[in-house]
Amino acid sequence: MSTATLPSTETEAHTHEHHHELPWYRKYVFSTDHKVISKQFMLSSLFFLFIGGAFALFIRWQLAYPGTKIPLVGSILPATWVTEPGSGIITPEFYAQLLTMHGSIMIFFVVIPLALGMFGNFCIPLMIGTDDMALPRLNMWSFWLVPPAGLIMMAGFFTETGYATAGWTSYPPLSASIQLPTFTISGQTLWLISVFLVGFSSIMGSVNYVTTVLNKRAKGMKLFDMPLTVWALFITAIMAVLGTPVLAAGLAMLFMDNFLHTSFFLPDNLVTNSKYFGGGQPVLFQHVFWFYSHPAVYIMILPLMGIVSDVLATFSRKPVYGYKAMVFAIAGIAFLGFIVWGHHMFQSGMNPLLGTTFMLSTIVIAVPSSIKVFNWLGTLWRGNIKFTSAMLNALAFVSMFIIGGLSGVFMASAPVDIYIHDTYFIVAHIHYVLFGGSLFGIFAGIYYWYPKMFGKMLNEAWGRKHFYWTFVTFNLTFFPMHILGVGGHMRRIYDPNVYDFLKGLGGINEFITIAAITLGFSQLFLISNILWSMKFGKKAPRNPWHANTLEWAAPEHPGHGNFDMDITVYRGPYEFSVPGRELDYWPQWEQGEAISAHHNTVAVPIENETRTFGAH
Amino acid sequence: MGDILHVLDMLAWFPENISTYGAELDNLFAIIYWVSVAIFFLTFGILGYLLVKYRYSPDRKGYNYHGNNLVEVTWTILPTFLFAAIGLYSDDIWERTKYSKRVPQADVEIIVLGKTFGWTFLYPGSDGKFGRNAYTDRTARHLMSTTNIFGIDSTDPTGMDDFTTENQFRVPVNSNIVVRGSSIDVLHSFFLPHARVKQDVVPGTWMNIWFNLFKTGDYELACAELCGGGHYSMRAEYKVVSMADYDTWLDKKNAEAKAARSPQSLPAAPADTVAVASH
Repeated sequence: MSTATLPSTETEAHTHEHHHELPWYRKYVFSTDHKVISKQFMLSSLFFLFIGGAFALFIRWQLAYPGTKIPLVGSILPATWVTEPGSGIITPEFYAQLLTMHGSIMIFFVVIPLALGMFGNFCIPLMIGTDDMALPRLNMWSFWLVPPAGLIMMAGFFTETGYATAGWTSYPPLSASIQLPTFTISGQTLWLISVFLVGFSSIMGSVNYVTTVLNKRAKGMKLFDMPLTVWALFITAIMAVLGTPVLAAGLAMLFMDNFLHTSFFLPDNLVTNSKYFGGGQPVLFQHVFWFYSHPAVYIMILPLMGIVSDVLATFSRKPVYGYKAMVFAIAGIAFLGFIVWGHHMFQSGMNPLLGTTFMLSTIVIAVPSSIKVFNWLGTLWRGNIKFTSAMLNALAFVSMFIIGGLSGVFMASAPVDIYIHDTYFIVAHIHYVLFGGSLFGIFAGIYYWYPKMFGKMLNEAWGRKHFYWTFVTFNLTFFPMHILGVGGHMRRIYDPNVYDFLKGLGGINEFITIAAITLGFSQLFLISNILWSMKFGKKAPRNPWHANTLEWAAPEHPGHGNFDMDITVYRGPYEFSVPGRELDYWPQWEQGEAISAHHNTVAVPIENETRTFGAH
Repeated sequence: MGDILHVLDMLAWFPENISTYGAELDNLFAIIYWVSVAIFFLTFGILGYLLVKYRYSPDRKGYNYHGNNLVEVTWTILPTFLFAAIGLYSDDIWERTKYSKRVPQADVEIIVLGKTFGWTFLYPGSDGKFGRNAYTDRTARHLMSTTNIFGIDSTDPTGMDDFTTENQFRVPVNSNIVVRGSSIDVLHSFFLPHARVKQDVVPGTWMNIWFNLFKTGDYELACAELCGGGHYSMRAEYKVVSMADYDTWLDKKNAEAKAARSPQSLPAAPADTVAVASH
């Protein structure tokens, strides 16, 4: 059966991909179609992005103008959030809730669901040329744990103590709330339940991704024919499967300490009027937590590294430089990610001898990271670079990742970390990696795959506006945070003016806040572009970017079952600008002979036997 | 213009350093900073050059090139050496500043306890020796209570001159100060920005914190670990004073401490009955 050519009409497809019409709630709500689930992840995460972002602006206002009324919304804030009803000045307790919720929402409900949930679901089946996930129902559940989990976390508002207050890291004894009676549901209890549930969502999704990649690849597709996006998601899924259960164990123990008042993490001889402690070890929780949460940092960025590689190759019209090196670098980062957790704990009271071990293993991570950066630069070399919105965001990822990576070296060095630990230097670093890295990568992915997701093109002009505004205000917001950190500004403090040594930093705090507000509003370009284009966007062609990977073989707006032809894979994913071919791309599903010479692929015309080598 | 340059020169923003090993830490920061600046300009230079030189042109094609192992090996090995060097050099300093066995002989020993939201310090008095308390004797830990957070055994004569201070402390200049730190409730972090000292204090464990300050003056201690709503207000002040001034202050405090205790001519009740049960 010939599979190389596209079927002439859409109707032909329906003859061998027959599906019964499903009721609406199975199609749009409890759908098992990976593309619908992906869109669900996207919508829920963008919603949480809005909430998490709003919380961040409250934090910024307080730091820049401590003890002043929050403009616009100040007078309508709930009475428990402000010093006195209608004052619009937030309380220190609510400030702690804000920073906890900002971090938790952004990490557990925005970046992980977008990176792993949205792109994992959308890209894996389409890019390996199969009809759906191996375990579609499990997949559906992996999404449907997220909204309840989110609601549970947000329900902390209705408890007596308000939202969780112990930071997104939730270190005991603070998070064990031993002052409250046994069986009290506090914001912290709900936080623990909520994160436990999203953890399960991640495990279910990841088990599914690993199974799908290993079992459902299209005919002819070897592992090393997979695009880097799929490689990255595959390796990330393995990390999530190995790491998340450990977090679940830690959370379960902390939940018992918090709710049932056991004492896993509470030592003897606390001086308090509570009697619920004794025999535990607080630092143990940090070990368990970071054993997951350091790999989680890579769970949040590795998928985007894959996506960025694909976007760079497509818009430079070049193969990814050192494809295999890129795969090994991802695997290397994933492996090292599991043996470096202690670098979050240099000053925690862990034996300083371990500091040496964790410092050296952490510094080694800079090596695979630099391999990736150099290979991205190599990909651009001698390309023909088109600056689409997706490409601009991918380039932002590369450049911001360089800055984020370099600032990482400072804190990897344990003696330097003594001073900058728990200061704004860390805040700057995490935002360069998670916003400058992950979020720009997510934007690149959204701009790149939106046509296949919704069958419509996004508006390019708006996309560019969104990019430039975001890129500039992002740097204006987060770069000065390095300076705050060097000045000694602690993170998570309500009012820096209490300290004399921070007096000179007020101007920078104000500057950051103004930039942050602009950054927040710049995102309206993206949201309105996404919503507007869904309805009024230009109809997308089947392969709008002239890319090679299998998702572009699917119809313009693929339905349940994805493909309207049988897919066979003939070559790797990055055969751009092959000498001997008229088109500058060569899709994986298109038949054709080629030979490899001097790191180049050369097309061999099938009709005549003369083997022409392209000049290089 | 000067202000703009000031913003760009990150190293200028450090608070003044007053500790002996602080200069070494700042110096290491500066080394990594300049290496980073160099790498930044190198990579961004290459990136900018590539983006301009290979921007889209309709009459050019990309170059089908899959990579070169020799190049890959080169840019694997070079960063490995660079970062390994930074790692090994850092480890040397880390060992000297933080390893427990490298904590120097104490000229002045202080015990500090963090609590929400403040710091309490215990001095050994002019005899330089602590009496029996939760730090010096594990078995005294059950004496810890809201009125006696250090678990001081008032029957021990060595501890008669021990005295406490709240949210302020004093240390002599040019001496090895060793602070044994812990907490009575949640995690706190003992952060002296000017002395480049930071160490989390964990309830149930004693941390060794040491420093040697070469400049007299008034400085601040901050808590660097989120410990609740009042975290930001967990501030203390400290004075670095000359040895003579320190001794005078110590004598004054000793006299106060003794005066406070002398009316209690009767020995305190047996320890076990005053203790607050810890289980």
